[in-house]
Amino acid sequence: MKRVPIAIFLALAVLAATCAAGGAEEIGKAEQRRLFRDGARLWPVYCAQCHNARPGSEFAPYQWDAIMMHMRTQANLPARDARAVLEYLKAGR
Amino acid sequence: MRYFILTILIITVIAAGGICGAEDGSELRQIRREIQQIRADEERQRQRDERLIGELEQKVEKLENQNRQLQQSSAQMQTRTTQQLQQINEQLGSSASDFARTFHDYLGTHTFTLTGAVGGDFIYDRQTATNTFALDFEPIILYRVTDWLLFEGTIEANLPAGGGADFSLPVATAQIFLNDYLEVQAGIFDQPFGDWYEDQSPFWVNRFVTAPLPYSVEALIPPTDIGVQLRGGAQWGALGQDIDYTAWVSNGPSFANDIPQPVVGQAINGVNTIKVNTNGQGYGGRLRVYPFPLDSNLGRLELGASTLNGKWLHGNWYNAWGVDFAYLRGPLQARGEFLEMYRQMPTGNADNRQGWYVQVGYFLNQLPLPFAPDPVADFIHRLEPLIRYSGVNQRAIVQDEVSTLPETGFSGSPSIFTPHAREVALGLDYWVAPSIVWQNEVDLELPEAGGSIIAFGGNPTPTVIPRGATPNDVAFLSQLAIGF
Repeated sequence: MKRVPIAIFLALAVLAATCAAGGAEEIGKAEQRRLFRDGARLWPVYCAQCHNARPGSEFAPYQWDAIMMHMRTQANLPARDARAVLEYLKAGR
Repeated sequence: MRYFILTILIITVIAAGGICGAEDGSELRQIRREIQQIRADEERQRQRDERLIGELEQKVEKLENQNRQLQQSSAQMQTRTTQQLQQINEQLGSSASDFARTFHDYLGTHTFTLTGAVGGDFIYDRQTATNTFALDFEPIILYRVTDWLLFEGTIEANLPAGGGADFSLPVATAQIFLNDYLEVQAGIFDQPFGDWYEDQSPFWVNRFVTAPLPYSVEALIPPTDIGVQLRGGAQWGALGQDIDYTAWVSNGPSFANDIPQPVVGQAINGVNTIKVNTNGQGYGGRLRVYPFPLDSNLGRLELGASTLNGKWLHGNWYNAWGVDFAYLRGPLQARGEFLEMYRQMPTGNADNRQGWYVQVGYFLNQLPLPFAPDPVADFIHRLEPLIRYSGVNQRAIVQDEVSTLPETGFSGSPSIFTPHAREVALGLDYWVAPSIVWQNEVDLELPEAGGSIIAFGGNPTPTVIPRGATPNDVAFLSQLAIGF
């Protein structure tokens, strides 16, 4: 009986694994501009929820890729919002 | 007679007709002349109108030609401009993307990123007459394999009293992003209970030098755990209105086993690395919601609730729950948590504990200082005064577990090790950069009476002594924290 929650947990994980991968999508220029605009609005608020917002110039774009994955996990950021902040940080360099 | 009258009438009529005919002739001529005059006028008018229409048509044609020419030249100019812009963009873009591509190729698709923090402290405690320096270094290594797979490891190097560095591995996880709403995280991770361990504990993120009492040396919740998490977030309304969740299965809680038998008030272990205390799992859940849209100008409010449950020893349960909030609006930031823990004891006595903290800070970067000289204004604008009140209630303290040796983020004050610890922390931060801060904190330890002290003293059975009034204490900590 006690293994039921674990089984449900694992089943959910496997089920989720079959969903579309959350990988990179080729985005158009219009969507890129929308992400940048949203990122500029979200960056000071989402980051400052826990700590001071750090400027894009502090890290290289490839580093921001990793750091934003880390921050998406830490703060459970919605995926699109994380992409918007990442776009802003990389473009804002 | 009758013929005579008729003859006269006929003659009269004929005469009258002759007179009228003469008048009609002159009028007719007059009318004809007028008609001819009107016709001539109309002809002239028509000729004038035709001339004007011709002139207007010429003008319209001329304007149309001009307009066509303008359109042509505009289109040509636009084409030329577009071509030139395209050329410039291609020149700039190609060089930037060439460089980026070359650099990216050089780095490879698997990238390592080093972040983390370091904290250097000065610690003073009045009651123990301690004053010392301390250092802690916590690099975070991020290994990004693809855009859906990240490995993360945190190594903590701490310098304890009387020895070389202690190294530990508080975090080592694989993070797999399955889709926009679901991520799997597996490994050893910061406990996702409340906001403290995951989000607030890094040196430069915590506005204070010390942790609030419920997460300090007598913590109610294990700081780290080993297991698997499912987590994710989504926008449920306008931009900024989010909800997120974390659910996890882990080894669960365990309590210090360096005393002969389990007792109330026993310290919780930092992590249950290899679970031998029970065959049960730990189950946790956390939910956070952000009710205000970004455009509402109401600030950013976070409301959260957490729970952690598991068997800590054989069939004995540990249950914990908590609620928390955080609010940010401009230079103001406030946060707080309340948490409660219930531990089923083998002897039948329950081990209940409650903890809470609330803190407020106000960044002076927006304070108007019209008459202050620039260096003074710049100094004041980097300051952030803070205040925090925290407390813990528990029925007992285990004397054998008390260590008043200070370390990074802990003053070593004995007044913290009481069943009813209370602390007022006053802070003043000076922000050198967004992630570099010089923090100063005065802690007023104001424990309340009550509870028990449990001491083994090398014996298998404990001695329980009622705890009387505990002296207050004052501590001062100063820390340079660098987030990198």
